[in-house]
Amino acid sequence: MRLRVQYSLGPDLRFLSHLDLMHMVERALRRADIPFLLSQGYNPHIHLSLGTVLPVGLWGQQEYFDLELEEMYPQLFKQRMNEVLPPAMRIQHCRLIPLEAPSLMKLINTATYVFCITDVSKEQLNTLVRNWYESSALPVPSRGKKKDRVKDLRKGIYRININHGEDAFQLEFLVSAGEPLNIRYDELLDLISASVSPRLIVDYFRKGNYIKKKDRLYSPLEKVM
Amino acid sequence: MKDKLFRDILPWVSKPIRYTGGEVNIIRKDWQESKAKMAFAFPDVYEIGMSHIGGKILYGLVNEKSQHLLERTYAPWPDMEERMREEKIPLYTLESFTPLKDFDVVGFSLQYELTITNVLNMLDLAGIPVLAEQRSDQDPLITAGGPVAFNPEPFADFFDVFLIGDGEELLLEFLDMVDQTRNLERRQRLQKMAEIPGIYVPSLYEVEYHEDGTIKSRVPLYGGVPERVRKRVIPDLDYAYFPDKPIIPYMNIVHDRAVLEVMRGCQRGCRFCHAGVVYRPVRERSLEVLKKQAELQLKNTGYEEISLASLSTLDYTGVDRLVRHLVCSYGERGIGVSLPSLRVDAFSIDLANEVQKVRKTTLTLAPEAGSQRLRDVINKNVSEEQVIEAVEAAFQSGWNAVKLYFMIGLPTETEADLEGILDLVNKVRETGQKYSRRSVEVRASIAAFVPKAHTPFQWVVQNTAGELEDKRRYMMRQKRKGIKLSFHESYTSLVEGALARGDRRLGRVIFHAWQNGCKFDSWSEYFQLDQWVQAFQACQIDMDFYTQRMRSMDEIFPWDFIDTGVSRKFLQSEYNKALQGELTPDCRIADCTGCGICSGLGVELSLKEAGDYAFKSPV
Ligand code: SF4
Repeated sequence: MRLRVQYSLGPDLRFLSHLDLMHMVERALRRADIPFLLSQGYNPHIHLSLGTVLPVGLWGQQEYFDLELEEMYPQLFKQRMNEVLPPAMRIQHCRLIPLEAPSLMKLINTATYVFCITDVSKEQLNTLVRNWYESSALPVPSRGKKKDRVKDLRKGIYRININHGEDAFQLEFLVSAGEPLNIRYDELLDLISASVSPRLIVDYFRKGNYIKKKDRLYSPLEKVM
Repeated sequence: MKDKLFRDILPWVSKPIRYTGGEVNIIRKDWQESKAKMAFAFPDVYEIGMSHIGGKILYGLVNEKSQHLLERTYAPWPDMEERMREEKIPLYTLESFTPLKDFDVVGFSLQYELTITNVLNMLDLAGIPVLAEQRSDQDPLITAGGPVAFNPEPFADFFDVFLIGDGEELLLEFLDMVDQTRNLERRQRLQKMAEIPGIYVPSLYEVEYHEDGTIKSRVPLYGGVPERVRKRVIPDLDYAYFPDKPIIPYMNIVHDRAVLEVMRGCQRGCRFCHAGVVYRPVRERSLEVLKKQAELQLKNTGYEEISLASLSTLDYTGVDRLVRHLVCSYGERGIGVSLPSLRVDAFSIDLANEVQKVRKTTLTLAPEAGSQRLRDVINKNVSEEQVIEAVEAAFQSGWNAVKLYFMIGLPTETEADLEGILDLVNKVRETGQKYSRRSVEVRASIAAFVPKAHTPFQWVVQNTAGELEDKRRYMMRQKRKGIKLSFHESYTSLVEGALARGDRRLGRVIFHAWQNGCKFDSWSEYFQLDQWVQAFQACQIDMDFYTQRMRSMDEIFPWDFIDTGVSRKFLQSEYNKALQGELTPDCRIADCTGCGICSGLGVELSLKEAGDYAFKSPV
């Protein structure tokens, strides 16, 4: 069977790399005695696939992985895993999905990133956001593979909200992710830093990953095909 | 402090996960409830320090088995150090983000000589005076242990206390004493500690020198301070603590796997080998204990690999049964077994085949010297036929890369011995070509021999950097297809050599070098020869005195008072035999060779699985 799992990765684990996270989950699977399936052949590996990469430095509220395993109650999986995972990583939900369902990497095409900013007024942020909306292009140096290029973020930004956080305002960006246009959190950080001192940006995280179909957003747990 | 770290510092440094702590199986003990508080400091980066078994043992031992507390800290990489200094963040422990200054003890693990500048740097980053004599009653006690502590003298200026030998019993006794003496003034405390067997307090001794620079005498300054310090030895490993629940790092570390210490010590008696002397005698763990440890450790860590670590793992009398057990019990779950070092014989290859049923990676063998004559000199009981046989067996069963370890600069070495290395490497490749369809790659890693204290070669002259360089050039004079020779830095080996057989006067040189910016000296990209040379000059100390001088047989050595249990008489006779090219057999097979350890320390060889196991000697 194949299980899709939604989890959170708290601020304490924000400096894990993608590979570190993979190892951490694999070792947790072993400690929890989960009946995972192993690939055949040379160097057997667990059929585990993590969703879109959570970059080093970022923590995430709703992240996903898929796992192939022998029969097991999803609730039992969740319970056993949460017993052995570090407290900063929690499994929130899991559900069975068809073996032939497309991978998370193929499905997820939208993400929200949140930036917490202190010592600014709501008006300042309003003006900033309005300016971004009204610009026809928002060029920043690309942080992805094509490093020396300039990337236009404008058409990848779907929506920006301003929320009241505990002791900071939160700028929440809904952006395009994966193919064909991947907006990275550090590119957004560059965009904000052009108008706000980096020292005032006290935290940032990925709030969620979604599947956008026409104008609706679905969670990867809802829309599996 | 943690918030500031996570927000202002870690996002800007390389590999920030080194500095966050919070790993699975970390132990956070209550500070108030704990008696003595100790920081275990490893003077190299996290991924190296965390790979070290000794640290894992002591961490679990103190935290689980005593009322004391032990937390970890490692040397920050230079980019992190710079940030910490800018932001005024003192060196802290990963468990509780407590500055080192707040601990009762900071204990360094000295695994190789060149990490000493990192020790100074870490103390400085912690805001603790680097020199022992400048510390006050409020400062932590600074200690060191590990193989390098067997010649503690060059480092005497920086440490209050050295712990000599196996740490399992000694460390707890020491921490009890730390707790009991907390209201005494520093000098009195240290005097009390010096009474514990295995503890050396350098400030309680005075050394006098002859005019030629050699040692005239060393005397304790107070009554009750022992003249000789004898290493501590755990007699039976089955009763020694071993962690069932080691910390699982988040980042990929050098040895990222579960580990069994199948035995401690090695009885082969290679004459260049420091570890072989200081960890004597051989003590094995029994199969039953190891099986249990493997089970618990794998259950508690979820590791996908388990390694059998020890100086010469393949000599463990139960090795084949253990390996088979592990492969049978865990292989199906995708858990692999790894053997760190292979002995040069066909038995080893058979066993390696067993564990590597699927993946055949590089075969690693260590003949150490190129000619039979020189191998006899160093007492490496390996013949060319054995090397070829082992390689044949390996290539026949599907391996196709071999790595061979050699040393150059060994005593009595001539050009013929260098030729011997090249010949042997060639033969290995030819053998490979015969049995393998693909083209075969043979790599030879060639290190410079550094004479070490407490070994039969403690008297000899070390090669100069120039000599080593000539030898390198000679061996590289023609390119050979399918063969790759790589040479270790010849300059680092000089500084290492000076420190390995140095005396107290080198403290000034080390201090100077550190002040000139030396750190991470064991990393070739950071090693600065010119700064070390300058430090020697500035202190008017001649490096050649330590490296280029043939010592006389009756010279008093700086490390003589550290009693490893192996008698000086034995070392001397081993040296003489070396010059004659005479072999000394392994005392597990032949009779006692008279090294003195068993009678001296009141211990004995502890071979657990020898009964129904016919020891396959390569001799
Ligand atoms: S086999 Fe030789 S080199 Fe290796 S640990 Fe034993 S004595 Fe030392």
